[in-house]
Amino acid sequence: MVRLITHNLLACHVKNCTVNNFPLEFKNVQLEIREAEFNPDFIRGFLPKLEWKALVDTARQLGDTSLPTEQPEMIDDEFLQNLHHVLLEIHVEEGSMICNNCKHEYPISSGIPNMLLAEHEIA
Amino acid sequence: MAPKVVKTVSVETNNPHEFEDKNVHEVYDAIASHFSSTRYKPWPIIAAFLSNIPTGWVGLDSGTGNGKYLPLPLERPAAIWTIGLDRSINLLQLARTAGSDNVLREVVLGNVLDHCWRTGAFDYAISIATIHHLATNERRQLAVQVKTYALNASERTDRSTLKRLIQSVAPDHGRVLIYVWAIEQDELSKRAIPTEEQDVGEVQGKDVMVPWVLNTAGSPSDGDKKHSEVFNRYYHMFANGELSALTMAAARSIGLIVGSKPTSDQTGSSEGVEIVQDGWERSNYYVELRRWKI
Repeated sequence: MVRLITHNLLACHVKNCTVNNFPLEFKNVQLEIREAEFNPDFIRGFLPKLEWKALVDTARQLGDTSLPTEQPEMIDDEFLQNLHHVLLEIHVEEGSMICNNCKHEYPISSGIPNMLLAEHEIA
Repeated sequence: MAPKVVKTVSVETNNPHEFEDKNVHEVYDAIASHFSSTRYKPWPIIAAFLSNIPTGWVGLDSGTGNGKYLPLPLERPAAIWTIGLDRSINLLQLARTAGSDNVLREVVLGNVLDHCWRTGAFDYAISIATIHHLATNERRQLAVQVKTYALNASERTDRSTLKRLIQSVAPDHGRVLIYVWAIEQDELSKRAIPTEEQDVGEVQGKDVMVPWVLNTAGSPSDGDKKHSEVFNRYYHMFANGELSALTMAAARSIGLIVGSKPTSDQTGSSEGVEIVQDGWERSNYYVELRRWKI
């Protein structure tokens, strides 16, 4: 499954690819929207650990513009709902993720990203 | 049923990657569905660990298998998210829908030896019954080729899963729980481990092949006869003290102090890892760690 919660944690791990290796960029994606249980306490707790810019840029790239460029000072329910939707309800089913630095392509098939590398690419 | 006696093996290979592909990954892909049907009950120590994780935390289950820990804790649904990583695509397809609540889980195809994450991105990480499948000097370091444990403790962890696990969690609060098979199996276990040739004074486990018998229904063309096929999986069974020693060596190899967090009146900054608990439960050794930073 690649939802943005996971995408915000993944980084390219090809040998010697250590700068500009996050976030990976989605390419040729097929999306599926599925409702997920809303737990505002989870979202509030996870918020400080997010890479915010990466999340907002990626969400916009996938067509969701509900999140502000800067994290708001006032955390209201509407904001938490939008963040919940972006993190947990947008599923990338098919496509790939590309490293902006080394251009390595990680395929996504049936909602499962393949982060395996060939032996010579491993750090 | 009589215990299945597992075979001791000597793993001598120049290609550990290939060895694990053949003796671990391919086997799990073949037995995924049957294996999964036998793995549904969480171990109490692991369930308790996950129950104590604060709401809002995100974790990694490295070697998630059929994902049986991904839905936990059941008493606080959607309070934490555990992301499952495994090398078997067939097990991941089962892990994706693990649990009885119709929730889709987050799963990633990858090798537990690699680190495909932002460093320190997770609040917690678990590795349950996984590290014992790794076969080599670079990976877990192979016991059969290691003459004295102390000499090789640091190089054993060179590119080890333990190191990866410690690096995957946040330096100031990350928690890690690791479970591996023990040589010491309890009476409820289905397996009997050969007991010969254990050198005194060496903290080292045993390399064994463990059979999995897969029964399949026959097809009409062969008279509906039932077939059974045996798949052998490679395991390293850990000796008493081996897991915690490896863990401490892994922590030190990345510059961490092993011990409890010093009192706050100390000056200067340091990072460390505390062993919170270390024990044996029902044929497994486990160790729980917490990272700290001042």
